[in-house]
Amino acid sequence: MLTSPKLDYALLAPILIILATAILGVLVEAFIKQALRARLQLTISLAGIVIAFEQLYRVRNQGSSMAAITSVSIDGAGIFLQGTILVLAFVGILLIADQDHFAPQASALPGSIEEAAALESGRAQTEVFPLTLFAVSGMMLFPVATDFITLFVALEVLSLPLYLMAGLSRRRRLLSQEAALKYFLLGAYSSAFFLFGAALLYGYSGSLSLNGLTDAIHGGGGNDVFLLLGIAFVSVGLLFKVGAVPFHSWTPDVYQGAPTPITGFMAAATKAAAFGATMRIFYVGLDAAQWSWKPIISVIAVVTMLFGAIAAISQRDIKRILAFSSIAHAGFLLTAVVSLNQSGLAALLFYSVAYGLATLGAFGVVTLIRDSAGEVSDINRWLGLGKKSPLIAATMSLFLLSFAGIPLTSGFVGKFAIFSAAYESGNIYLVVVGVLASAIAVFFYLRIILMLFFADASNDSVSVVIPPLLTRVAIFLSAIVTILLGLAPSILFDVAQNFAYFIR
Amino acid sequence: MINFALEVGPTATPEAVMFWILAPIAVAAAAGMIFAKKAVHSALLLAWVMITLAIFYIAQDALFLGIVQIVVYTGAVMMLFLFILMLVGVDSSDSLVENIRGLRPASIVAAVGLGGLLVSLIGRATLGTDVVGLSAANSGGNVQGIAEELFTKYVWAFEVVSALLITAALGAMVLAHSSVIKSRTAQRDQSIARFRGASLANAAGLPSSGVFSRHNAVDVPALLPDGTPAPTSISKTLEARGDMLSSKPFELEEKEAEED
Repeated sequence: MLTSPKLDYALLAPILIILATAILGVLVEAFIKQALRARLQLTISLAGIVIAFEQLYRVRNQGSSMAAITSVSIDGAGIFLQGTILVLAFVGILLIADQDHFAPQASALPGSIEEAAALESGRAQTEVFPLTLFAVSGMMLFPVATDFITLFVALEVLSLPLYLMAGLSRRRRLLSQEAALKYFLLGAYSSAFFLFGAALLYGYSGSLSLNGLTDAIHGGGGNDVFLLLGIAFVSVGLLFKVGAVPFHSWTPDVYQGAPTPITGFMAAATKAAAFGATMRIFYVGLDAAQWSWKPIISVIAVVTMLFGAIAAISQRDIKRILAFSSIAHAGFLLTAVVSLNQSGLAALLFYSVAYGLATLGAFGVVTLIRDSAGEVSDINRWLGLGKKSPLIAATMSLFLLSFAGIPLTSGFVGKFAIFSAAYESGNIYLVVVGVLASAIAVFFYLRIILMLFFADASNDSVSVVIPPLLTRVAIFLSAIVTILLGLAPSILFDVAQNFAYFIR
Repeated sequence: MINFALEVGPTATPEAVMFWILAPIAVAAAAGMIFAKKAVHSALLLAWVMITLAIFYIAQDALFLGIVQIVVYTGAVMMLFLFILMLVGVDSSDSLVENIRGLRPASIVAAVGLGGLLVSLIGRATLGTDVVGLSAANSGGNVQGIAEELFTKYVWAFEVVSALLITAALGAMVLAHSSVIKSRTAQRDQSIARFRGASLANAAGLPSSGVFSRHNAVDVPALLPDGTPAPTSISKTLEARGDMLSSKPFELEEKEAEED
């Protein structure tokens, strides 16, 4: 006779609320008239995120408990990351609300009569709202899952909607579909690696949980080949998701092809979720075997930082530049992972908020700069934009300065925290390379700012559309937080420090 | 209840016989799957590989896994695969042009390298070591054991998979379903349009194509009694493709008509 399992629904409630909201969104798609859907979906999604955040706030002090029969551990870092993902999702949904970026009917062939008819009829593919929420639920589960089965399920739940949404761009549809297919195939491949690694680690420890893995490493006597292969394969799956260097090749193509609001959401929230899970796996599960993985992950961090910064220089497309910049940032975050100390975890938590909001803001600005054919992502046509619309150009510059890590922005504080954690752990060379990579990166960020303000406008007319209200709110929120965290980082940094712990 | 759990030890003779018969066939089928020219043959060979694997699973006391392998992979996934191949067209073949120079040799080297590395490492880790824990895991029955794990320890993951299934269904709808934007005109609507239209010229239907006894083909517009060609008599598609002939050369000339 089986004993019925106890799941602790109160602790799982934030994830369950998001899932319920997503399912409600699916029902709206099925039963509500097309004309009413977009507004209703938006309201439901935002309300669901707010309610989930409220429930998360309510359980914030129970941050040392396991839920779902030890499949999920609600600890400080887990709660903080879940909160971060909810905030990023809220801002992301505000950007997604502008349906002008999505294909009116994804099933219509690009350039066909059906597509023109769908465009004319004013339809919208409002399924993006529930899809986004499904991705959010997976992202919330990924950093708190403590066994490899739950980790794998969460990984798939967060990835599948992203693969889909990458292919829904309204303009340059073929590029968007190519991006979606590429992301899907490579993502499936990396998931298989992750699963294979989990199986090998099970073969090593006889347990699927991270705690069981640690116990087995401490106990010794296991088959070390399984351990090493398992670590390698699980790392491949994780490094693919964060876009670290040997597994980064999808990043520029997908960032460029996906609808811009989706790119922003994906860049910001996936990074927080995937780094949360990486951190937990390495800290909780593989801490005892750190000498097997630390050297190679350090090398990957170095290569990722340098590659991202150098490759971005030769790019012309702003979305590709931001993609390579996100690769460089993955390298910085890997530095925090390798530090293996509490300040590294706190730095990662702070950084994921700071970087995530700046990314959403930057992609929000990109959605506004258009010509008659839609978004213009070629930066050579952004010349002199600062004279035409100084406010937008200044906001973009603010986000770029934050990416570059210039003082008085949130990016500086994040980078400073990560480098000091790395210094504390004795990885001086990582600090040196990190500062070097930041210096290289400053070059191309500043080049864009110079193009915006100090060049004469070219003849190709690029205009800034009047931002829809919600996009304006999203960019404004991101900008405010970017400045605020730069001026008074302790507001968030103290919280991050208090929440920077994992339980076993 | 039949107890499938054998004593764990050196492989029993019947199992060894079965292995040495089925394993070469499985390997041959897998190789054939890669080298087969036609996609349908590849799919069928892959189904065979899966069936052999299922037999191995069952022989190794993983009854549930074996049955699921047959029902889900061979039965559902591979058959769907075949349906899709049939829908796309059995004869359609992929272009085998290399977009990147030297891609094929490089990928063969990489695949053989990774495969060799894995086989040697995992072989070194597993060969010669005893199998442990199988009889403990199967003590309450194989299916019951899996059920217990699935519905107690991993029930949360099991429930979350539902999100994945909904996403998959929703995604299939988004990518493949096109809702009708303009309602198609049915026969009734066409009939009403003919009789309630501005003129009754087309009330008896559109003229059929071709010039009588001269060029009775679909690509030539009919000639109206006044000698002008009727554009409504041929398909719009032909016109758009530029496959339309002029009906002028097939016109009856005055002279001939007089001679008659």
